[in-house]
Amino acid sequence: MAVSVKNRPIAATATQHHQPTSFYVGAAVRYTLLVLLSLLAFAPFILSFLGTFKPNAELTAYPPTLLPQAWVDNGWSGFVSSLDNWKRVWNFTLPSIQLAPPLSSIIGNRVLPLWLLNSAWLAVLNVLLRLFFCSLAAYAFARLRFPGQNFIFAVVIASQAFPTEVTLIPGYVFYARIHWINTYWPLIVPDIAIAFGIFMLTQFFKSIPRELEEAALIDGASRFRTYWSIALPLARPALLTLAIIQFQGVWNDFIKPLLFLQQPKLMTLTVGMNFFKGVYASDFSAILVGAMFNAIPMLIIFFIFSKYYMEGSSYSGLAGQ
Amino acid sequence: MAPSANVAPQRSQRAASLARRETLTAYLFIAPYLITAGIFTFGVLAYVFYTSFTNLTASFAIANVRFIGFANYVRAFKDPNFRIALVNVFWYFVVVTTLQTIGAILLATLLNVKLKGMRFFRTMLYAPSVASAVVISLIFLWLYLRTGFINYVLGTNIAWLQDPRRILDFIYTPLGLTNVPVFFRGPSVAWVAIMMLNIFTTVPTFMVMVLAALQDIPGHLYEAASLDGAGNVRSFWSITLPLLRPVIALIVILGTIGTFLVFAQIAIMTQGGPLNTTLVPLYLIYQKTLGTGTSAEAGFGAAMSFILAAIIIVITLIQRRYIERSAQ
Repeated sequence: MAVSVKNRPIAATATQHHQPTSFYVGAAVRYTLLVLLSLLAFAPFILSFLGTFKPNAELTAYPPTLLPQAWVDNGWSGFVSSLDNWKRVWNFTLPSIQLAPPLSSIIGNRVLPLWLLNSAWLAVLNVLLRLFFCSLAAYAFARLRFPGQNFIFAVVIASQAFPTEVTLIPGYVFYARIHWINTYWPLIVPDIAIAFGIFMLTQFFKSIPRELEEAALIDGASRFRTYWSIALPLARPALLTLAIIQFQGVWNDFIKPLLFLQQPKLMTLTVGMNFFKGVYASDFSAILVGAMFNAIPMLIIFFIFSKYYMEGSSYSGLAGQ
Repeated sequence: MAPSANVAPQRSQRAASLARRETLTAYLFIAPYLITAGIFTFGVLAYVFYTSFTNLTASFAIANVRFIGFANYVRAFKDPNFRIALVNVFWYFVVVTTLQTIGAILLATLLNVKLKGMRFFRTMLYAPSVASAVVISLIFLWLYLRTGFINYVLGTNIAWLQDPRRILDFIYTPLGLTNVPVFFRGPSVAWVAIMMLNIFTTVPTFMVMVLAALQDIPGHLYEAASLDGAGNVRSFWSITLPLLRPVIALIVILGTIGTFLVFAQIAIMTQGGPLNTTLVPLYLIYQKTLGTGTSAEAGFGAAMSFILAAIIIVITLIQRRYIERSAQ
């Protein structure tokens, strides 16, 4: 079970105790491979990050340069001037986007900050709603007894096996009929209580002792109060794991915003960048800067919470079984 | 007074009312799930299923919608674009699922030792997979340029994302084989390029799952094997791999679903081109439903969706059964 992942002994190969020389050789080979693979894994990000400081002519020239020419030629002043690229992209406007105050007094008509804001509030709101409604349902499945319980929980599990993405696109027709296109509703309401989250938190609630809750119930606390002030705080690690998985899912989502947010003003960063690419197809330096705005917040969150990510992966493994 | 006489019925009455209250509370707690899943998962599913039997065109043209039976399904199987999309996605599924599974197992094996720094490397290797498909696609759009880093490093001069040549033709053509059916000519160069970037991002995700399973294997099994004279390679084949079977089944199934649903990379990098060699069912469904670059035929799109869903479900069921059976 994923909850117990933490303090598991790591399997060691027996040979290392008997053959110290080959052990050190093996370790050296392993480290070399791992360093090379890590570099390979990061190369696209490093190259494109450096690329954001190059003008378009340099970005598409052959052979490609590693460091921006301006840095190499002019040192610090070259670095300062290369920042213009980021400023240029940050200040991009589109004729179709005219913002109203109070937003316009802060970001003007700039599209990139607008898309960043849209992505951010959507992700935060979705995470909060999902945490609340998933944990509420999970608490009922883990702690209460009610007719139909097993059947409904079986539906929760079974619904994860159906590739729902397949019906997402033709489902566009449904949302068009209820006039939800170009609104944020389809990106929020359908997923407030997702099956994966309910399943994961139910398992977690079942794994924590219920004595504290029983004491509170005997003292006359309501079920909701017990859930809210006793069970929920105990579930903090699982909630954080779920929050991170969901944040990444919403922040990185492409299909839903592409389907439902067709006006540039409403777009999130992912579809905004795609839209942008359609307008400025050959402006690679702008495309790379936009990609960085999408990737860097996610990478920062990952490095802060990496422990919970690893835990999350084993949870998603659990759900698929 | 004979209290003992009426305590029992009172108690059972109280118990019944408590049970009723518990049921009410429970249904209140799961109501958000029941309502949203009922409308937006199962309701939409049923509605889309209904539209797949109609001549619904654009999503807003609901007047004149007629029931046309299985016509959309029949048409889908005859449609050359849908057929080519299925061929393309099938190759994608085979190549990507195979390579990412092997890659994940090898990478996890590499990390599964008691050495300093393994947590660090695990984090570093996992990091690329938190970036969105959009970011990866935009970055590789640039790296795959004819003047880009990939050609530079490989010493090649290929317009990766614009190259429609199917790779098995490189074998057939020298042999003088022409008129090979498209299925047997393999993926195009552009499609291979997208496969590679997909493997690049999914290997780390699955690596973490394999690693967790590897760390569950008790160390004494390896000690016993080594006492019996088994080397590292032998132990890997006879102990590690068999014990990894459940997690391998899992990542193969998740990989299968993921590859059949590939979308963002196509929408951003190639829009199905060159010459439809990167066209996939989901992208075709998207075009048909919204009418982008084609006429809007939402009913037809819905029918293709259900065919795709059926294919995914059948393949994953076969995988599940096969892997479970050989485990016994």
